[in-house]
Amino acid sequence: MLGTDAFASLAEAAAASLGMPHLQLVAVAHPIGGIDPKLVRAKAETIVDRVLEALTRDPSPPFQAFVSAARAAASAPDDLDAFQDFAVAEGWSDGLPVLPPTEERVGRILGRLAGDRTEVIATLAPRQGVATLEAIAVNAALAGALPEHLPVVVAAIRALADPRFNLNAIQTTTHPCTPLLIVNGPIAARLGINAGANALGQGHRANAVIGRAVRLILQNVGGARPGREDRATLGHPGKYSYCVAEHEAASPWAPLHVERGFRAAESCVTVCGAEAPHNVNDHGSTTAGALLFAIAGTAATTGSNNIYLGGEPLVVLGPEHAQTFATGGWSKADVKRAIWERARVRLDRFSPENRERFAVIDPARFGDRLLADEVALCASPDDLMVVVAGGPGKHSAIIPTFGATRSVTVRIEA
Amino acid sequence: MSRLSVLSPLATAAGGVKPLARRRGSLRGLRIGILDNSKPNADVLLGRVAELLVERVGAGPITFWRKPGASHPATVIDEVVAGSDVVLTGSAD
Repeated sequence: MLGTDAFASLAEAAAASLGMPHLQLVAVAHPIGGIDPKLVRAKAETIVDRVLEALTRDPSPPFQAFVSAARAAASAPDDLDAFQDFAVAEGWSDGLPVLPPTEERVGRILGRLAGDRTEVIATLAPRQGVATLEAIAVNAALAGALPEHLPVVVAAIRALADPRFNLNAIQTTTHPCTPLLIVNGPIAARLGINAGANALGQGHRANAVIGRAVRLILQNVGGARPGREDRATLGHPGKYSYCVAEHEAASPWAPLHVERGFRAAESCVTVCGAEAPHNVNDHGSTTAGALLFAIAGTAATTGSNNIYLGGEPLVVLGPEHAQTFATGGWSKADVKRAIWERARVRLDRFSPENRERFAVIDPARFGDRLLADEVALCASPDDLMVVVAGGPGKHSAIIPTFGATRSVTVRIEA
Repeated sequence: MSRLSVLSPLATAAGGVKPLARRRGSLRGLRIGILDNSKPNADVLLGRVAELLVERVGAGPITFWRKPGASHPATVIDEVVAGSDVVLTGSAD
């Protein structure tokens, strides 16, 4: 297996997750992408001897201990400040203070599920970490979650392991994406998951700890450690925690989970591999058609993954913007189609190199086109996700996604 | 300082260790398969290494396959296995 030195840790993790930690990796100096192919050919000369050796000499089998980490009790400092140093050194922390996952606290979070603590909920990439109920609860305890939050976290983990979500890619990509959890149904109000003012911001415990528990599980069980297997070039602040409820009461339309075939009275969580929100400020427009300008203008960008990989960009409409569309008689489907028809980028706004690359990846949209032609922000209007959240005010948000992923909605068994 | 007993959040990892194919002493006459992971210039690096193996030790012929996208698993593994004696592939960027 060949790679670059900057990404060797990910290559090693990929081999280990496939049961081949002893597969030989030969690395060249980073980068190979985005440079003159002549330079890449020269780099090939520097590694050919090592490739030859790797192909002609049997590797030593690894120690079994390499792949089987312990599920074990650990002895930690009982001083809370000293515990932070311990948690960081063990690689358990996200950098913010964590709470000690004592047997007692984990037992409290598991509650009546304590007897099923070994039940496997999912196997999480890239490490193929086994997310048992107990492992989920231990991370929930670290994150500061309460027992009533556990069913949402468990449902989110089930959703993340759905092959359509493509968790391995989300966990290891250089792109700044992380699972955004969108909670629908009566559980949102019951747990106090904020859907109103500052819905995507701070200040609400349920949003904070549910999203954080999921992140810690992805890091600790899934094995996506920042800068090692998690190769995000920049990442984004939502990687600490990214959880919101849809403001169903303020929405003129059917909520997300009902669009996807669930009953309104059911509670669900939807996961999508999402970038940070980008704001749409429109205080002036008073009609649906007018409001479309700012929303589509913000959504149509040359640097998003969705524009060449497809996938499902997310539009979070503030309640007042949603009402402006509804007053104009627009259904949610009308909004999606109108955004899709308007949020377009002319091909001459992409660099020649990118036009060439995108034409290979998506010939239907980028191949044999004129420079004056336009491409839409994603492959079809039905791929756009639209939810309503937020408080009073004239703002909405565009949230591009990873592209090579589909959002997944799972019922919360509470 | 007194100590506290806590549970590890790291859990276990599924799967064990698989044996790798026995290496042959020489690549002379062996078919080289290239599985391009479709990252930019991966085909250039993999292709040039394969060419050098042909020039230096008489390996070959070379056959190229490509993943459907960098973020998706290969769909042609069986074909690659059937058509190659040794395989070069790329990981990540």
